[in-house]
Amino acid sequence: MTPLKPISPIPRVVLGVLFFLLFFIAWSVATFGGFVPKTFLADPLTMLREGWNLFVFYGFIKDIGITIWRVIGGFILAALVGVPLGIAMGAYKPVEAFFEPFISFARYLPASAFIPLLILWAGIGETQKLLVIFIGSFFQIVLMVAVTVGATRRDLVEAAYTLGASASGIVRRVLLPGSAPAIAETLRLVLGWAWTYVIVAELIGASSGIGHMITDSQALLNTGQIIFGIIVIGFIGLISDFAFKWGNQRMFAWSLA
Amino acid sequence: MSKLIIEGVGRIFPGRGDRAPTEALQPIAVTVEDNDFISILGPSGCGKSTLLRIIAGLDNPSSGRVLLDGLPVSRPGADRGMVFQSYTLFPWLTVRENIRFGLREKALPQARQDEIVAHYIAQVGLAGFEHHYPKMLSGGMQQRTAIARALANDPKILLLDEPFGALDHQTRSLMQELLLGIWESDRKTVLFVTHDIEEAIFMANRVLVMTARPGSIKSETAVDFAHPRHYTIKTSTPFARLKARLTEEIRVEALKVAAMA
Repeated sequence: MTPLKPISPIPRVVLGVLFFLLFFIAWSVATFGGFVPKTFLADPLTMLREGWNLFVFYGFIKDIGITIWRVIGGFILAALVGVPLGIAMGAYKPVEAFFEPFISFARYLPASAFIPLLILWAGIGETQKLLVIFIGSFFQIVLMVAVTVGATRRDLVEAAYTLGASASGIVRRVLLPGSAPAIAETLRLVLGWAWTYVIVAELIGASSGIGHMITDSQALLNTGQIIFGIIVIGFIGLISDFAFKWGNQRMFAWSLA
Repeated sequence: MSKLIIEGVGRIFPGRGDRAPTEALQPIAVTVEDNDFISILGPSGCGKSTLLRIIAGLDNPSSGRVLLDGLPVSRPGADRGMVFQSYTLFPWLTVRENIRFGLREKALPQARQDEIVAHYIAQVGLAGFEHHYPKMLSGGMQQRTAIARALANDPKILLLDEPFGALDHQTRSLMQELLLGIWESDRKTVLFVTHDIEEAIFMANRVLVMTARPGSIKSETAVDFAHPRHYTIKTSTPFARLKARLTEEIRVEALKVAAMA
């Protein structure tokens, strides 16, 4: 192996699939071989059967739909407020001086620790779930967008000035298009984190959603369903990530080599 | 009336903490006439780029002022086009849209914009590359686009800060001929900063030599070769004589720089 040497597509896919296979084999050996008690870890086949049951008898597709809507809803809210604020902070230093210290502090407040408080304030309905996602995503988005916009190449800004750009022209025609790919990348990352928050929100005080199903299954010691739920979350995350990446590459072809 | 008047422009960068302030430019006076092509030649770190940035309005002088057509310069504007040494095309815009940047800022009618863009694309020889993004272009093509982008604004003066500094020798020679050709046909007023002596002489009608830091004007030399100039004059005897003299002048300054380091 040579450092940084690219790998051709076929071996890359083969290697990627290989790890999944090894993972499943190890899991099968541990469960079918009787090395782990069935109560604590279901085997892969039981997991698949339980997954099938979830869809057929327990309306799991509705839970998935609810969870997706919560993530997307909270995330879009956070992005709608966070991206413009981040851009304003990155572009205008007084705005940054005003908000940055507080947001840097707020960023470290764990979103999950707000859940009990949010339940008191907003009950256990959808508002509370959206708020958890919002708190978890908003501060991250603001800070990362502000840093991105603030790091715009100064020579491009100067070039735009010498071409007669006004202050608002600099923001609209240099800072925004120049930062757009990195902002989209930030959103992709934060969407991944939003998935973690939604499950936490659903583990506590929820009556629907993937997280709620997982808590229910825990009470019934149904590890097959728990694992299936976790895998479903992983898959949805992977799909949304791919969709985001694909969209970014389409929209920002110029930023690729 | 003179096009550009530099009146006692000096620049001192304030010190930070224990460090003493740095005087980058001693107060300088230069007068640029309409249609002049002036090369500013100096060793590295002599403040020639600082002077150009002050004229562009990207930096403020500590003393003195710059007058363009009699009006003092205080901020950057479309009347002073600039081409930088680093590649500063907007990577998200195609060649065409880069050249159009200043025209859109002026909100010219679309048809007029198209016409101007097409004219400069042809003039700098980029036909066929209109829809390429900067990343797909060679360094020479990027700088040609940057020149076209500055010219499209029809600035009163064109400021060039070592625009060919990052290019290989052959590309560089071709770019000099291209720029000289544009000047010979349009007679724009040009200030060209460089540390390459041959380049400074080949295109200019006046060469200003700057001293080592703090920069000041050491000498001024008229270059009288007739236009249109052919690249072969670079190997002629009068050219060589001029080059030899300027080489001596610059060498003294370069030695001072080396002694400071």
